[in-house]
Amino acid sequence: MDCLRIAVVGLGKMGLLHASILNMMPSVEVIALCDKSSLLLKFVKKLFRRVQIVNEVDKLSDLDIDSVYVTTPIPTHFPVVSALYLKKVTRNLFVEKTLADSWDKAKELSELAENCGGINMVGYMKRFAVTFRMAKNLLNQGILGEITSFDACAYSSDFAEIKKSFKMSASRGGVLRDLGSHVIDLALYFFGDFEVSSATVESIGDGGCEDSAQFRVKKSGLDGRFNVSWRMDNYHMPHFGLEIRGDKGTISVDDDTVELKLDGKSKKWYRHDLNDTVNFLLGAPEYYREDEYFVNSVLTGNKTEPSFLTASKVDYIINQVQKKADVNG
Amino acid sequence: MANERKRLLLVGDNPFHGISHLSQERARARSEKINFTEFAANLVMSSLENGADGFMFSVSETTLSILQTIRKKTGKKPLVLYAIVPYAYEYVRLATQLGTLGLAKKLGQKIAFTGNSRAIITGLKGVIKMDPEALMKTYLLYEISRIKSSAGKRMNIESLMLHEVVTDMALALNSDWLIKSFIDFLLGLKIKPGFETRNFAYLISKFKEWDIDLSRIVIAAPFNKVGFQMIPSKEECEKALSEVRESNIIAISILAAGYLNLLEAAEYVQTLSNLKGVAVGVSKEHHARETFTFLEERLK
Repeated sequence: MDCLRIAVVGLGKMGLLHASILNMMPSVEVIALCDKSSLLLKFVKKLFRRVQIVNEVDKLSDLDIDSVYVTTPIPTHFPVVSALYLKKVTRNLFVEKTLADSWDKAKELSELAENCGGINMVGYMKRFAVTFRMAKNLLNQGILGEITSFDACAYSSDFAEIKKSFKMSASRGGVLRDLGSHVIDLALYFFGDFEVSSATVESIGDGGCEDSAQFRVKKSGLDGRFNVSWRMDNYHMPHFGLEIRGDKGTISVDDDTVELKLDGKSKKWYRHDLNDTVNFLLGAPEYYREDEYFVNSVLTGNKTEPSFLTASKVDYIINQVQKKADVNG
Repeated sequence: MANERKRLLLVGDNPFHGISHLSQERARARSEKINFTEFAANLVMSSLENGADGFMFSVSETTLSILQTIRKKTGKKPLVLYAIVPYAYEYVRLATQLGTLGLAKKLGQKIAFTGNSRAIITGLKGVIKMDPEALMKTYLLYEISRIKSSAGKRMNIESLMLHEVVTDMALALNSDWLIKSFIDFLLGLKIKPGFETRNFAYLISKFKEWDIDLSRIVIAAPFNKVGFQMIPSKEECEKALSEVRESNIIAISILAAGYLNLLEAAEYVQTLSNLKGVAVGVSKEHHARETFTFLEERLK
């Protein structure tokens, strides 16, 4: 296979972003777009003049598709991904995070993917940011010695001015899935599996989803604390960061910088220092890297990370947080 | 080699929106200070008094308020405007809250509320036929009317520029018809069409392929000593710049989001003979004075 024939299901901002980036790759042909909204499809038909536009996943079956990107709202991931596998549209799937809207469904999708084979991946793009990769490399070198604790945060001002959690925030899956999932995935990537020991969540109004959450996690010799909220002031751009402490020093990392403190000395790297370049820049360089990695994996048949199985662990942690928060009242 | 030609110096607006590509922490610290229209307007005016020629800004409630304040303070002094639409952050935030269709409805309501009959009629036609070109024209008329009502007649919209996300998405999707329609529509309104991009080298090659007359448009793209956001590489962008005969290219991110100092930035810009000018954001009064005095001395 020299050139991948790709379809994108879901034409919100993430669908358009991935479709655009994929279209720039020489080894990819975006051949179909799929969305439920008839109004949106009428518009998109005139915008994308050389691409098949369909309103049902089933209609992708006849298009000889190599791979599908699923960028629909989180609660629809389960039915859409299941249908793509069961209708045998393709075995190579990329799903925007989170894999599903519950641990049960994420587990089921992982099993389905395992049975069907092919390449599967979930869009935890922070893994592809140069700063978080640098932090991962430093940790792999064991530079901090024994890791003892960490603090992770994910903040935005997306809903800072909204008095009630209205319907839209619920369809995004709440702040744990929307923002929190990124730092949960990073922590799993850095430290491996852990368990939630305590949690509190806050829901404003009657939307029913979390607007902020604080929780603690544990694994042998390691304590971690998470703080996530989309109701913060002055977080014009979403912020994701971790401070990691070991018995030899600390690493502070976010989207822009990595700072290493060892023996009273400090060294800081900016994105500028970390070869943060790609062939085409849209949104952030990590989106291009993530898509390029997935495409190459499908072309070569190499397994991807985070796979559905790896990513389902984020859904597991979110499930634990929700359960612990219920118990705690 | 130093360039003898007079370069355009523009004040950028990133600090007024709390944006720093070097550090989010720094941006938040700034936004806590710079959330007063009066303060921001004074920074723009101070920059103008010290050598800046105009203001490059994303069209938002914040920048429109700044224009209103400048208008009241400067009276008859003309100001050259390079306006960027859409203000991506605001629209992404609304899309996040309301969904794509919810955002479209909200924007439709805003356009209807302006009472701009040309925009409303074009927009209705666009909705009925689901015509992207008509909808784009409606949106542009709406943004132009917002700028004009805030800026007044003494301020001149030199260029209306497409935000990098829209420009680069149109490039990626090979939407030459959209780019050409944007150019023709704005030229018809006697406003220079502009494009902000993070993919300068690719944009130049595509625009040449699409037979777009580069002398009739403005392009804003990152140019800095460390190659920050110069895609796919600093060398490719410099090569593309050297091959453009028309000098309508404005360098942005010359400080690489604060990674470089002003001297380093200016020395690099001086080596690029094809640049029309530069845009630089300022966040303090003394910063505005020093920056534009220095750039006027070095680049004009």
